[in-house]
Amino acid sequence: MKLYEFEAGDLFRQEGVPVPDFTVANSPRQAREAAEKIGFPVVVKAQVLTGGRGLAGGVQIAESPEQTEETARRILKSSIRGLPVNRVMVVKKAEVVQEFYLGITIDGLTGCPVVILSTAGGVSIEETARTHPEMVVSNQVPISAGLSLPEAEKMAQKAGLYGDESARIADILHKLYHVFRKYDASIAEINPLVRTMKGEYLALDAKMDIDDSSLFRHPDLQLSAEDRIASPLEKKGRQIGVTYVELDGEIGIVSSGAGLGMATMDIIGRRYRPANFLETGGAISEELLYHVMELVMQKKGLRAVFINLYGGINLIHEGARGIVRFLQEHPTDIPVVARALGNRQEETWQILREGGVEVVTDTATEKSAEYLFRRLEKAR
Amino acid sequence: MSILLNRETRVLVQGITGRAGRAQTKWMLEYGTNIVAGVTPGKGGEEVEGVPVYDRVAQAVAERGAEASVFFVPPAAVKDAARETIDAGVRLIVVVTEHVPVHDAMEIKAYASERNVRLLGPTSPGIITPGEAKMGILPGNMFRPGRIGVISRSGTLAYEICANLAAAGMGQSTVTGMGADPVPFTSMSELLYLFDADPGTDLAVIVGEVGGMQEEHAAQFIADRMIKPVVAYIAGHSVPEGKRMGHAGAIVQGNTGTTRSKISALQRGGVDVAEYPLDVVKLVQNKLG
Repeated sequence: MKLYEFEAGDLFRQEGVPVPDFTVANSPRQAREAAEKIGFPVVVKAQVLTGGRGLAGGVQIAESPEQTEETARRILKSSIRGLPVNRVMVVKKAEVVQEFYLGITIDGLTGCPVVILSTAGGVSIEETARTHPEMVVSNQVPISAGLSLPEAEKMAQKAGLYGDESARIADILHKLYHVFRKYDASIAEINPLVRTMKGEYLALDAKMDIDDSSLFRHPDLQLSAEDRIASPLEKKGRQIGVTYVELDGEIGIVSSGAGLGMATMDIIGRRYRPANFLETGGAISEELLYHVMELVMQKKGLRAVFINLYGGINLIHEGARGIVRFLQEHPTDIPVVARALGNRQEETWQILREGGVEVVTDTATEKSAEYLFRRLEKAR
Repeated sequence: MSILLNRETRVLVQGITGRAGRAQTKWMLEYGTNIVAGVTPGKGGEEVEGVPVYDRVAQAVAERGAEASVFFVPPAAVKDAARETIDAGVRLIVVVTEHVPVHDAMEIKAYASERNVRLLGPTSPGIITPGEAKMGILPGNMFRPGRIGVISRSGTLAYEICANLAAAGMGQSTVTGMGADPVPFTSMSELLYLFDADPGTDLAVIVGEVGGMQEEHAAQFIADRMIKPVVAYIAGHSVPEGKRMGHAGAIVQGNTGTTRSKISALQRGGVDVAEYPLDVVKLVQNKLG
């Protein structure tokens, strides 16, 4: 789960990573009051879960209370890459002398945290790695050992830093690693970390992504997933416990596995555009598939629904009852075509057929999709 | 022949008294799997489907000679259970559990590799050696014995492709589900290595999907080291950027993790890549002549 900058900034501050004074505001008036407390000039920053805020006009300097209010008003009315801005962060403007990059992520191949330090901050690290690889120091950290302070200092020195600066930045990197581990982050990044005219070191941005699977052990963070999802249908999916991704097409898709769902999208995509991706996970019940149908059918402009289920861990015959119950209570004109294979498939077919669902029993999704394509041609 | 699992393998089921554990134990036994024991802390002395249940893995190993274990334990308990199982001397662990914290997966992977224990998962659909044994949730009726080795990041897609192959008369030596978490315990390359060395396997099929770098890394291994032919299908041509597609690791981030990147890497490594799942059948037939 991605954190807003102010949330990550709070965690950084708690764990001793230096951040400038900031306040979060959700109205122009609040922004103005915050700026008056902090002192001018300030930076007003849109709080959205996407990069490229600066280029989109979401980060602006304000010199006075009036200007802060005006700037905040403008930013709060805008949206950035399709995401509405509901909050701004008001932060003391720093006088920057130099920018650095500190980041920690996970290498999926080695299964180790990767710690990255660069003397070029404020730009994308991928870009620096391509154009100035000598300015990027990267280190695979054995998870059992962790990143020690001396290791962090070695990295800083390798990047060409020395003396007090090397020690200060190593200390911040060491703390950032602590944040990364403590909060089960998949990304913890400061871009840029700056040295100011006064010789302070400050994190001028805070980026964190926390592993969704670990949220159960971080109740203190009080992160609401639903607060971060823009699409109401995707929000609903989260509430009923399935993965729903809203797309821009006309065929609703239900699948009992992620890989199968993506392949189904690929196959349907040969002729029609998928309206959504929906993966039920491994806990299919009558109740769940009832809600799944309710959700999928809410999408506007649907021309058909294609259901693709496997009975591995899933009890597809129970799911079939939920599909049928929904359709009996909410009759529809569009074709609902289902394919269901695996444990207890015959029973599942019977339930679906008796409930008016068109069942295709081919082992290949392609053949079942062709049935759907023909069906839609006929309906035309 | 097969890799990792055969009809003699003495299998332990952890979390055997839970809903999924009970149901799957029945299916695994019916398939012919040599399940010798179950473990659920606090439930020692019970029986599930005639299988004796122990409190501790060490007891199951000492008294029943368990050598491989399949996990139906809750995500928060996986890390401790894995350590206990590794310490007890089990050589193969299949973690079916979904939503294992990624930091736990990193720790388990490191712990296991220091002790030479093989794990599959997290979120593995399991492993099946058709006609002999299965550990996990793969439905037996989708597979038949044969000489194709399958490595899949997805459970359901493995069923689909194996059923297609079986319908065309081509069975599988072993089908391995590596899961699609951000940090898989065993990489695609390591599984390719095992199939390359297995005299019962003529060809390997990779079932990949968007996200991560497993396929790219495997492509390099195939180009450099692999002797046997490889066919692949990669799901998710039309996946939007930045959306997690049901699997924790199935996400396109910028230009990383796209099917295009994976397909071109695999093709450079000499792999025939199917455009759609059913095309795998034709490509395998071509390769095997």
